[in-house]
Amino acid sequence: MVTVRVCVGTYCYLQGGQQLAQWKNYIPKTLMDKVTFVGSSCLGCKEDNAKPPYAKVGEVLIERATPEKIIAEIETQLELIN
Amino acid sequence: MSDNIFVEAGSFQLNKHGNIACGDTVLLHKFPNQERCIAVLSDGLGSGIKANVLSTMTASMAMNFSIKREPIMRTARTIMDTLPVDSKRNISYSTFTIIDIDEDGDTEIMEFDNPPLLLLRNGKISHLSPQTFTINERISQHNYERVLKLSNLSLKKGDRLIVYSDGVSQSGIGNPNMPFGWEEGVEDFIEQIVKNNKDISARELAHRIVKKSEMNDGLKSKDDTSCICIYVREPRKLLICSGPPFDEEKDKYLAEVISSYDGKKIVCGGTTSQIIARELQKEIEVDMDLDKIASGLPPQSHIDGVNLVTEGIITLGALSKILEENRFNETPQDDAAWNILKYVMDADIIDILVGTKINVAHQDPSLPVELEIRRNVMKRIKRMIEEKLLKTVNLEFI
Repeated sequence: MVTVRVCVGTYCYLQGGQQLAQWKNYIPKTLMDKVTFVGSSCLGCKEDNAKPPYAKVGEVLIERATPEKIIAEIETQLELIN
Repeated sequence: MSDNIFVEAGSFQLNKHGNIACGDTVLLHKFPNQERCIAVLSDGLGSGIKANVLSTMTASMAMNFSIKREPIMRTARTIMDTLPVDSKRNISYSTFTIIDIDEDGDTEIMEFDNPPLLLLRNGKISHLSPQTFTINERISQHNYERVLKLSNLSLKKGDRLIVYSDGVSQSGIGNPNMPFGWEEGVEDFIEQIVKNNKDISARELAHRIVKKSEMNDGLKSKDDTSCICIYVREPRKLLICSGPPFDEEKDKYLAEVISSYDGKKIVCGGTTSQIIARELQKEIEVDMDLDKIASGLPPQSHIDGVNLVTEGIITLGALSKILEENRFNETPQDDAAWNILKYVMDADIIDILVGTKINVAHQDPSLPVELEIRRNVMKRIKRMIEEKLLKTVNLEFI
């Protein structure tokens, strides 16, 4: 099981977090039961040159997150577990 | 009136079935930072646009003269002299009830031809025993005697005042179980509602009375139907915190204000909620319900001891929009902005604590222009809650 945190703070939400939060729309069916999605009000990245939206797959922080990047990271981590 | 007493005014109206304009007018006015409250109900002659114009004129005059503390008899006189004469019926006519409640609970009530005002005290309805005054009005050779009723009383905690247009008291007229309308039944109905829901809000009570009248008429109201309720009670308090304090040393103060606040609590803002969770050593959970996100607002989260935790500026912007477009009487939707509104509607005194630290991340020029400065949005929300929802709002910046 992999936990994915999606930032839904204002900045990230406006920069793509809204789409990322609707995870059921893009996570492949084969992965559905292997991931848990939770929101976060901030993943702790408030520096000046932030690269939103942020997501965190397990302990790995993803900048400028996209569904593709998240899925790829989930798959990598699932392979490591197995 | 002592500090811990609050006057809540609420109303509800329905048009005569098939009419686009209401012939009754309700005006409620609350003075910012005072407990003085004025409520006016006027029912114009006939129905439709003509009645709407008459009642609007009457209610506006009654309200504005009362605000300026014009003697109530002169107000009545002026209204009668000013109203245009109906060309068909040859009279100028519009009923009115003016309720003026002062800060100490002293209330002056002027009634003209509306169904008598009801006082609900200790669960029992009673009628006032007003002084009557007669004014003679002469319109094209006819003399009309107008009887005005003036009452004074002192309101106590727990008291309710209920006034409605004849659309309520005459609803169901001609039905076998109420041949003369709902005149007596309505009092039992109100007593029963209040007995079953001791803390029912004025707004909700007015809503129920009008809806029941509509049912009496088979859901096709035969007349414009309006009701105003006043409820004197202990204030319900709500605290809304948004934004990190300008100075980090104030973080502790913010957390303390929240933990010691005696009322409902809402936190709007990701960083703000993290500060509070950190200072109070509590966990934040963000509720990731797909459906709620689809409504366009970031999801709500949860901190123990706080009633509602939302995102900041997008949600507040949405709240401001609902207030601006007067949509607060619509059926609430299930998103963060509507949930804040529900708490606001149920509160009397709203304390807003706004942190003024600038969020560096929000200065990104690629962000939409709607992303406004928090303190401006909050100032606007404060003004609209005061003017449109008649609540007392205290705004503090930290």
